[in-house]
Amino acid sequence: MYREEAVDAALLGGIAGRMCATHEPLGAYAGAHRLNYLFVDRNEVVRLTADRESPEISQSVASEYPLFDWHEREMCDTHGVALAGLPNPRAMFIGAGEVPAALTVEGKGVTVIVVGPVHAGIIEPGRFTMSSGGETVIHLDAQLSYSRRGVEGFLQGRPALAAAWHVSRICAACSVARSWAYARALEQLGGVACDERSEWARVVFAELERIYNHLFDLASSAAGAGYGYGQTRGLGLKERAHEICNAAGGHRMLFDAIVPGGVRAGTLRDPEDLRRSVAVLRGDVVSYIDELFGNRSVTARFEGTGYVSPETARAFGAVGPARRASGGDIDLRSYVSYGAYRARPPALARETGGDAAARARIKRAELFESFALVDGALAELGRHAPPAPATVEVGYGAMTTVIEGPRGTESVSVECDELGVLERVHVISASYRNWPTVLRAMEGNIVPDFPLVNKSFNLCYACADR
Amino acid sequence: MARGFKHSLGIRHLVCGSCNGCEHEMNALTNSVYDITQDGWDIVASPRHADVITVTGPMTVAMREAAQRTVEAAATPSIVVAVGDCAAGDGAWAGAPLAGDGAGVELAAAVTVRGCPPTPAQIRAGLREAARRLDGKTTSGKSALER
Repeated sequence: MYREEAVDAALLGGIAGRMCATHEPLGAYAGAHRLNYLFVDRNEVVRLTADRESPEISQSVASEYPLFDWHEREMCDTHGVALAGLPNPRAMFIGAGEVPAALTVEGKGVTVIVVGPVHAGIIEPGRFTMSSGGETVIHLDAQLSYSRRGVEGFLQGRPALAAAWHVSRICAACSVARSWAYARALEQLGGVACDERSEWARVVFAELERIYNHLFDLASSAAGAGYGYGQTRGLGLKERAHEICNAAGGHRMLFDAIVPGGVRAGTLRDPEDLRRSVAVLRGDVVSYIDELFGNRSVTARFEGTGYVSPETARAFGAVGPARRASGGDIDLRSYVSYGAYRARPPALARETGGDAAARARIKRAELFESFALVDGALAELGRHAPPAPATVEVGYGAMTTVIEGPRGTESVSVECDELGVLERVHVISASYRNWPTVLRAMEGNIVPDFPLVNKSFNLCYACADR
Repeated sequence: MARGFKHSLGIRHLVCGSCNGCEHEMNALTNSVYDITQDGWDIVASPRHADVITVTGPMTVAMREAAQRTVEAAATPSIVVAVGDCAAGDGAWAGAPLAGDGAGVELAAAVTVRGCPPTPAQIRAGLREAARRLDGKTTSGKSALER
């Protein structure tokens, strides 16, 4: 469900602030004609809108709710919106010129360590500036946007249906979740419902994406703890997950597997055969997880590292496994319930520890649940491939949809004209939502634990930068 | 292993606006299936240690200077390998407002591996081609080798 509420521009900030008490805030963006603050409540996405051109200047919500900081700065940066009382007016995105100075701590004995934008491993670019006292990090600053291609501006003016191919390629690691959110947005604008078998097929793809990502997170966390064997074995299992993705959807990262109207024709040709391969992988993942979590020297490194309190997670807008590891109880698959999850809602994984250990346990629980979901969804498909996608005719309107991706809330907002051409598309990824929490998680930890803290979240840059 | 191939490669990876799909497949080169260490290859932490710089993405305005400096910092001889359609200049984001001509095009790659993303096996084949060229020192295109 989707609800739009138009309000006076001068009152927007105040109303948005009050909404935070009753709804889960999703962020904000400047639309083609209006400013939008997004929220989600059970079964419902709410878009609070006000006229962008109104001379009444809206009040920033970020001073009270830090999770709006990036969203509001982005509105000001990219759309020339003037918000009063913005707590952090630094430029959000870097261009060809000077890179903005990092926020650092000043004082006796403070050392400032800068890494990036080019990193030592096979990692996306970003500049991290750690202010440390001895070994202990006092403050961590991140300058992202090195991967900024300008995808939203590029997609503007294109037919919404054709843009699905591009949307699938904004960020590989959450491609399925974003394609699903985008497909749902267009289907709702076009008044088309996806058929039941395609909905089960979508669950297969989304859960396979979660499986390869969670395996990657655990393998990378093992690496962060100096457990090379755990990394090697985890990456080997991830490779097998990619091969299963390829067999299921014709692409190792399932690009274009979910399309507006259903799933790509020719995918999931033999659900029964796939079920057998998934069961074999599951067996080996169980054994891997037993070994990883049974290794006391590894779990000891996870415990207490990268602690995020429930208050911090909420204030800074953490989502997905990161939020659920700090006491959060929202998983959009059951919270707003969409597609075939309505018939088979996943069990909620919830921890209260807030550290790297809690985040690893969340991923362990979600891995097992994902395997069960894939198996159940494939059983529903039986011996038959899902049907070819339905025809979607996109018309005039605005829509925001949310999907629970591997890292949490993935949202896509689209605004189309009468011909189904994109006037505005805005993508807010789970990584974008979680980055501010990673920075807080590093405070009080030692510098050499940065890889472990970082990889316990394992966020992407491409979807955050766009 | 290719006949006559003697070169052990130090590979430095450079991301210039990639969607991270190519990075997943570059990472796969280190897993137990593709395990490039068996070829005497390794992913190295500094361009100073590198024989090959693999580059991905369309190139972004923000990465351009850092990317140039990374390639210039590489050991001599060395070779740039473009990985993926974006780096080749005609990927999904070619023509986007903050995207460039392709990381491989801008950084004068001598070898280009196609795909969105290319499979690990395709990337490995591209690296073998780079190794052959380094061995024979017969680069085509302007690579760091010619400096």
